[in-house]
Amino acid sequence: MALKNLRGRVAFIFEELDFDVDQIVGVKNMKTTDIHELTKAAMQAYDAGFASQVKPGDLLVGNHNFGYGHPHYPPMKAMRQLGIAGVIAESFSPGYWRGEISMGFPQVSCSGILGFVKRWDEVEVDWAAGLVRNLTQNTEMAFETLPRGDLEMLEAGGLENYLKKRLLTEGKKETTP
Amino acid sequence: MRTNVCQIALGGLCWMGDKKGNAVGFTITEKILARAAGLASVKAGDEIMAKPDYVLAYDFPGYTDVIFKQLKDEFGIDKIPEPDRFGIFIDHMVPAASPAEEQLHMGTREWTKVNDVALYERKGIGHQVASEIGFATPGAFVVHFDGHVSQLGTFGTLAMGLRRNVLEAFAMERVSIRVPQTTRVDLVGTLAPGVMARDVFHHIVRVLGPASCRFQVLEIGGPAVADMSNDGLQTITGLAMFTGAVTAIVNPDAKRLEYALPRARKKLDPVCSDDDAHYAARHEIDLSTLEPVIVIPPSPANTRDLKDYLGLEVQTGYLGSCASGRIEDLRAAAHVLKGRKVAPGFALYVVPTSQEIMAAAAREGLIETLVEAGAFVSSPSCDYCYGRIATMASGQRAVSTGTLNVRGRMGSPDSEIYLCNASVIAATAIEGRIADPRPYLRS
Repeated sequence: MALKNLRGRVAFIFEELDFDVDQIVGVKNMKTTDIHELTKAAMQAYDAGFASQVKPGDLLVGNHNFGYGHPHYPPMKAMRQLGIAGVIAESFSPGYWRGEISMGFPQVSCSGILGFVKRWDEVEVDWAAGLVRNLTQNTEMAFETLPRGDLEMLEAGGLENYLKKRLLTEGKKETTP
Repeated sequence: MRTNVCQIALGGLCWMGDKKGNAVGFTITEKILARAAGLASVKAGDEIMAKPDYVLAYDFPGYTDVIFKQLKDEFGIDKIPEPDRFGIFIDHMVPAASPAEEQLHMGTREWTKVNDVALYERKGIGHQVASEIGFATPGAFVVHFDGHVSQLGTFGTLAMGLRRNVLEAFAMERVSIRVPQTTRVDLVGTLAPGVMARDVFHHIVRVLGPASCRFQVLEIGGPAVADMSNDGLQTITGLAMFTGAVTAIVNPDAKRLEYALPRARKKLDPVCSDDDAHYAARHEIDLSTLEPVIVIPPSPANTRDLKDYLGLEVQTGYLGSCASGRIEDLRAAAHVLKGRKVAPGFALYVVPTSQEIMAAAAREGLIETLVEAGAFVSSPSCDYCYGRIATMASGQRAVSTGTLNVRGRMGSPDSEIYLCNASVIAATAIEGRIADPRPYLRS
């Protein structure tokens, strides 16, 4: 099953290097489990009107080493609830990357993305072509290929479904090296 | 003829990994992953399915409780195969402070009992205990959900934190992995008094950058390693994630093998990087040039010179964690504090990383020195590091050897954490302000 291309507007650009995603909902809200409370808290420090402007399928853009620090899951849970379909960044911090890929949340590492898009540009991530297209500016650029396991995890919709698929295909026939 | 780092250090004790005809040698990481994948060789960038030798975890809500439930309910695994590969630690919420916390621990005890999996409770912080009880097997591939397990790399063990993906290692025999590139840092020279391994790590972040080793392995080598303690190398390797690395590793020399081999839970040939292994980057750091540093809030990327922050008022000091809090750290603090007193009103929490370390500190008289100086010495627990206890209020400031200084890490999001070495904590405790330990070491 091929991964569906992402298509949406650039809903926000996080220009900060080594961006700590916990800031999206604020550290004091990190233990909030109510998704509606989380979405209310989301982006308040950056753009209080964010929730009313964002549309399903929109994307976030980040700078280098996006997700550095000690990332937790609630910020991106809130973003997904608001309709955000993925993140494109100059580069990612591995801990954040792993965690969000395991949630089935697409992450695209694309060197040069900051100079390539403006906020609210319409962009498309074409998985098969390995390209990010800026549909507003009619330009395109390549992104970094995802590791096979990560791609399969996104295709399956997250870690649990990926493992269930593997269990079905591999069964218990695995051999010990 | 190609020589091998290990061969030089050990006079041939280490496996050579001879690969006739190959122009470029292999890194220790590539050698470990090749064996774990059951392949003759692998190179950085290869997509492989590797079988971890050990799968470790500490019980924590949202992680182990969920994994245990998922294994049974979603994957139909009532009992995991090869339980000897697994190790579970109870080191957070120790001791429990609510019925819910104790219930979590009860669930963990039950799961480990049913699955015949070893449980290490109240022995200390799991990453340290793991090395004490032999999970730091040189040459082994280890996974955990927590990235600070990278400190097993001190002993030539490739140990990675996978976050939620550790479920893969519980549910399946193998994990999907892209063989990482390696950045090599060679340490030369000798540390001056008052400068510690903690300073070395934060200096690495400062000069290489917080993204320098993204998705790579940070390999620590060079002539200075031979003189470094296991404690110091565990500090450096345990914090690797803040360079962006997926883990850190040291080519195990005689000192590392002397510690790790008798404890190893599995007989494996230790491996080392070939001299002509390919590195994505190679850097040299002269330890002789280093001064004590301080990492200012709110990011582990913010390494600064200690001298620029002297005199800043501080209310709390925390000496402990999986990164620091070992005997070398306790000795450094006791050296500064011997015959002196913690400033009135200053809370100095000293938490040895494991019971084994605490007992050693007691035998050496370090606990006595620290207590008489006014430190509050606690039994090993992770709980100080993330503010579950000794929780800071808004406006408070701490110096800490904990792992992290992000907002709210040790309590209120409006409190501040300055990371530094153990002797800086001790000097600061005496003055109630950020202080340079070196004058105390001279007197």
